[in-house]
Amino acid sequence: MTFTKIVKTLSIAALLAITPQAAMAQEAVPAAVVENEQLTPIEEAAAPGEVPAGETEAPEAAGSYVPMKPTEGKGMPVDGGIDFQDQYSEVGQQAYGMHNYLLMPIIVVISLFVLGLLLWVMFRYRANANPDPSKTTHNTLIEVIWTLVPVLILIVIAVPSISLLAKQYEPAPEDALTIKITGYQWYWGYTYPDNGGFEVISNMLSEEDARAAGEPPQLAVDNRMVVPAGVPIKVIVTAADVIHSFAVPSIWFKMDAIPGRLNEKVMQIDEPGVYYGQCSELCGARHGFMPIAVEALPMDEYNAWVQSQGGSIKGAEEAAAETAAADAAEEEAAATPETETTENAAADAEPAAAPAN
Amino acid sequence: MTTIAANPGDMETHADEHHHDDVPPFFQRWFMSTNHKDIGTLYLIFAVVAGIIGGAISGLMRMELAEPGIQYLQGWASMMQGSAATEDQGLHLWNVLITAHGLIMVFFMVMPAMIGGFGNWFVPIMIGAPDMAFPRMNNVSFWLLIPAFVLLLGSTFVPGGTGLGAGTGWTVYAPLSTSGSQGPAVDMAILSLHLAGASSILGAINFITTIFNMRAPGMTINKMPLFVWSVLVTAFLLLLALPVLAAAITMLLTDRNFQTAFFDAAGGGDPVLYQHLFWFFGHPEVYIMILPGFGMVSHIIATFSKKPVFGYLGMAYAMVAIGVVGFIVWAHHMFTVGLSVNLKMYFTAATMVIAVPTGIKIFSWIATMWGGSLSFKTPMMWAIGFIFMFTVGGVTGVVLANGGIDDAMHDTYYVVAHFHYVLSLGAVFSMFAGFYYWFPKMCGRMYNELLGHVHFWIFFIGVNVLFFPMHFLGVQGMPRRYADYPDQFAYWNEIASYGYAIMGIGMLVFFANIGYSLFAGRRAEGNYWGEGATTLEWTLSSPPPFHQFETLPHIK
Amino acid sequence: MTDTAQTSDMQSRNLRVGLITAMIGLGMLGLGYAAVPLYEIFCRVTGFGGTTQVVDAAQAETVQIANADMSVRFDSNVSSALPWDFEPETTTDKISIGARDMAIYIAKNRSDQPITGTATFNVTPVQAGKYFNKVQCFCFTEQTLQPGQMARMPVLYFVDPAILEDPDTRDIKEITLSYTFYPVDPDKKGS
Repeated sequence: MTFTKIVKTLSIAALLAITPQAAMAQEAVPAAVVENEQLTPIEEAAAPGEVPAGETEAPEAAGSYVPMKPTEGKGMPVDGGIDFQDQYSEVGQQAYGMHNYLLMPIIVVISLFVLGLLLWVMFRYRANANPDPSKTTHNTLIEVIWTLVPVLILIVIAVPSISLLAKQYEPAPEDALTIKITGYQWYWGYTYPDNGGFEVISNMLSEEDARAAGEPPQLAVDNRMVVPAGVPIKVIVTAADVIHSFAVPSIWFKMDAIPGRLNEKVMQIDEPGVYYGQCSELCGARHGFMPIAVEALPMDEYNAWVQSQGGSIKGAEEAAAETAAADAAEEEAAATPETETTENAAADAEPAAAPAN
Repeated sequence: MTTIAANPGDMETHADEHHHDDVPPFFQRWFMSTNHKDIGTLYLIFAVVAGIIGGAISGLMRMELAEPGIQYLQGWASMMQGSAATEDQGLHLWNVLITAHGLIMVFFMVMPAMIGGFGNWFVPIMIGAPDMAFPRMNNVSFWLLIPAFVLLLGSTFVPGGTGLGAGTGWTVYAPLSTSGSQGPAVDMAILSLHLAGASSILGAINFITTIFNMRAPGMTINKMPLFVWSVLVTAFLLLLALPVLAAAITMLLTDRNFQTAFFDAAGGGDPVLYQHLFWFFGHPEVYIMILPGFGMVSHIIATFSKKPVFGYLGMAYAMVAIGVVGFIVWAHHMFTVGLSVNLKMYFTAATMVIAVPTGIKIFSWIATMWGGSLSFKTPMMWAIGFIFMFTVGGVTGVVLANGGIDDAMHDTYYVVAHFHYVLSLGAVFSMFAGFYYWFPKMCGRMYNELLGHVHFWIFFIGVNVLFFPMHFLGVQGMPRRYADYPDQFAYWNEIASYGYAIMGIGMLVFFANIGYSLFAGRRAEGNYWGEGATTLEWTLSSPPPFHQFETLPHIK
Repeated sequence: MTDTAQTSDMQSRNLRVGLITAMIGLGMLGLGYAAVPLYEIFCRVTGFGGTTQVVDAAQAETVQIANADMSVRFDSNVSSALPWDFEPETTTDKISIGARDMAIYIAKNRSDQPITGTATFNVTPVQAGKYFNKVQCFCFTEQTLQPGQMARMPVLYFVDPAILEDPDTRDIKEITLSYTFYPVDPDKKGS
C-alpha cells in the first residue's frame, strides 16, 4: 500500500500482465476513482494543458498522499467496550458529556432507586413479617410528589438536550467545503463539488485485504472519504436506490441517505485520523457490508489528496471561476460518464476491485 | 375498586345447573366457536405456537451472531431453496429472519396472547358479562389470524428480491420494500399484515362495544378492574392506529404492483411519508403491546399483596394519558431522516412526557406492595421482575428520546436492547405473570410452583445476559440488522448468545410445567389465591362454566 | 327481568356502538389515505423537508431586496434508469437576498431515443424551504429530450428576505438546491 499513485498508475499495465487479477485488486484499490469530467489517472501526465486550475503542482502533490494507518482504538470500536467510542468532534464531546455525566447518573440512580424500593418492600412486607396488610389506597401528597419529581427531572434533561440539538443544527459557515455523500446498494460514493466534482467510490475491503493493510476487517474500505480536519464541512447526503444511513460513531454523526431528497449536516473533525462507521439503515442483502471510513487530514494534505485525485483546490475566487469555466468547457467535450467509468475501470483493473468486495 | 355482591358459591351452582350440557361437540366448539373463553384459549394456543416459531428464529439469529463471520446463513439458505445459495442469498436470509422474528413476535405472539387470549378470556368475566358483544365476529377475528400467519410463513419460501422471503425489516420501509424487493414475498407479507390488522380492528370494535355496553349493573367505568381499563385503552389504540397502517401498506402494495408512486420519488412521492404513516401506527403499537401487561400486573401485585391497587384512578388515567401521548410522538423513530430542528425539539420534549404517566404506574405498583402482606407465588415473581425490567427499559427510552443523543444511538443495538427490555422483558414478563396467575382458572389445574420459580429465575437471568450487553454494543456503535460484525463486537455478542441458551432452557422448564399441570396438576378451586383476589373471575369455578353470568352479578 | 326484551335491547345498543367504532376505524383508514395529499399541502405550505415555494412573477416583483447575500449551491442527481447527463452550469452562486436570479442546469440525452424525464427537488437546510421561492422552473413540468439533444434548463428563483427574521434560518449562509431527474416512463418499476 505504500506505492505512490503515480508509480502505481504507470506500473499497472505491467503488473496486470504478470499478476492474477485477484492479487491485483488490493493494489489497484487506491487508484479506483471514478468521476464525471475528471481525467483518468493514466492520462494525468497530460492533464496540466487541459485543466489549468491548480493542476501544475499535481504530479508532486499527488505523490504525497498515502492512506493513513488507523490508530488502534481511535475512530473504531474497542474489544469488549462498554462506553461510547472516544469523540473527535465538538458536537460529539458535548453529546457524550451529556450522556455520561447527566443521563447516565440519572437513569442509574432511578433504576437503583426502584430496585432498592422493590427489595426493601419485598423484605419488609413479606407475609411472615407483615401478616396483616394495610388497606391504604390513596395518599394525595405522595401521588403529587411522584408526578412532579419526574417532571422536574425531565426538565433538567430537556434543557441541555434542546441546546445540544440547537448546536447540532448550527448551519455551516460561509464558504464551508461541501462534500456530497451518495448511498448505493452496497457502497458509498463521495463527491467533491468544490474540488472539481470528482466522485470517489468506496467499497469494503475483503477480510484478507483489510488485515494485510493493518485495518479492521468489515470497517476498512478501498477508497476512504478524505476530509480536512479542524474545519466545519457541509455534508450533503442522498441515495441512488434505497434508503441508507451514513453513520460515524466517533464523531456522533448519523444522517439518512434518502433517494430523491437531499439532507444536510455539518461535520467537523477535531484532529487527523481514520474514523470508521457503518451503514445504519437496512438497505438489502449487503447492508452490513458497506462500511464507512473517513480520513481527516490537515488542510494542506487534504489539498494534496484532492490533486492526487485530479481535483482542484477550493480557494481563491479566480480559482473557483476557473473551475467553473473548466467545468463548462468540459461539459461540451465530455464523454458520457458511463464510458469514462469503463475506460477508467479497464485501466485500473477496477472490475476486480469494485464489485468483488 | 370492585367489590362483589353475589356469593361466589351461589353463582357457580347456579351457572352450572343451567348450562352443563350446552357444550357443543368438538368441531363446533373449536372451529365455529362463539364462546369468548374458547376463542381466548385458541388465541393463547396460537400465540404459544407463534412464539415458539418466532423464538426459534431468534435462536438462529443468535447462533449466527455468536461469533464473527458468516457461519450458517448460506447453508440455511441452500436448505430453504433446495439448491446451492450464493453468499448474497445467505445474507438476504438474514434480513428475512429479522423481518419474520419482528412481525411474528409483534403480530402473532404478543398481540394475540395479550388481547386475543387474556382479553377474550377475562374482560367479559371481569365486567360481569356473559360473553363478548359480537361473538361471531370474535370467531372471525381469530380465524383471520390463521391465513395471515400462513401467508407470512409462506412468504419465506417465495422469491423476495436477492433471495427467498421478505427481507425488509418489520418496518417495511419504502423503497427497499417496493423497487428494492422484487418477487411475491413482500406482497404476501403485506397481505398477511392486512389480515392480521383486520383481525385486530374487529377485535377492537368488539372489546369497545363489550366494555361500553355489557358491564354488569353497578359496574361503572370508574369501578372497572384495571385490566379492563387497559384493554379498553388498547382497543382504542388499535382502532385509531391500525387503519393507518392498513392504508400505508395498501399504498406500498399499489406502488409495487400498480405503478402508483405514493412513496416513490421517481413519481413525485416521498419515502419519508411512508415512515411517518408507519410510525403513526408503530408508536401506539408498542403501547398496544404493553398496556394489557400493565393491567395484568396491577391485578397480580394487588392479589399477592392482599391489598387493593394503590391510586386506582391515577393508574387508569395514566394508561389513558400514555395512549393519548402515544399518538403525538411518532417521529422520534425518525430522528435521522432530516427533520428540521424545531420538529426534533418538539418530538424530544413530547417523548419525554411519556415518562411521567409511566412513572406514576411504577410507583403506584410499589405503593400497592407497601404495607401489604406479600406472598411470592410465581405470578408475583414475574410481576415484580416486570416492574424492574420495565423500569430499566423505560429509562433507556428517556435517553433515546433526546434527539441529539439519538444521533449516536439510532439504529444501533442500544435501540434493540431498549425495546427488548420493554417488550421481551416487559411485555413477555407480564404475559408469563398473567399466564401463571390465570392458568389454573382457565384449565382447572394448578401449575407446579417450584417449576414456576425455576422457570422465572432461569428466564430472568437468561434474558438479562442476552439483552444487557446489547446496550454496550449499541453505544460502541454496532448497527442493528447486521448478520456479521467487526471483531471488536465479538465479546458481547458471544455473551448475548449464551444468554439466549440460558433463556431457552428456561422455556423448556415452562413447557415441562404446562405439560405437568395439564396432566398431573392439582385441581384448582374457584379462588385459589385467597382473599387478595377480588375481581369477578374468582367468584366462578375453575375452569368457569361454559356460559357464565346468565343472571348478572350486581356490583356494589 | 324480561330476558328476551333485554337481549334485543342489548343487541341493538351493541350494534350501535359497534357501528360507531367501525366508522371511527373507517375514518382513520380514510385519514391514512388523506395523509398523502395533506402531507403534500403541509410540505408546500410550511416548506417541510425543504420543499420550495412557488410564486408568480407579479408577486416576485413586490419583494424587497435586502442588504445581505446568500450563497446558493446547485446539486444534481440522475436516476440510474435515466440515460441523461444532468449538471448545474455553476456549482455555487452568490446572490442578494430578495433579488431574482437565474440558474441554469444542463441536461443531455445520451441515448438514441427520445426520453421524458421529471425532476424532484428539495433544498437544505430543510428550514430554508419556506423561504426559497421559485418563479419559474423546469421541474414544474415534464421534460422531453430527443436523442443526443442537450438542453439548458433555467430556474428563476429568489430567497425571501423573511429568512433573515426567522431565528431558525437567519444564520444560514448557503442554501443547497437539489434536483433528481427520473424517467417518466412507468416501466421504471423494473429497475
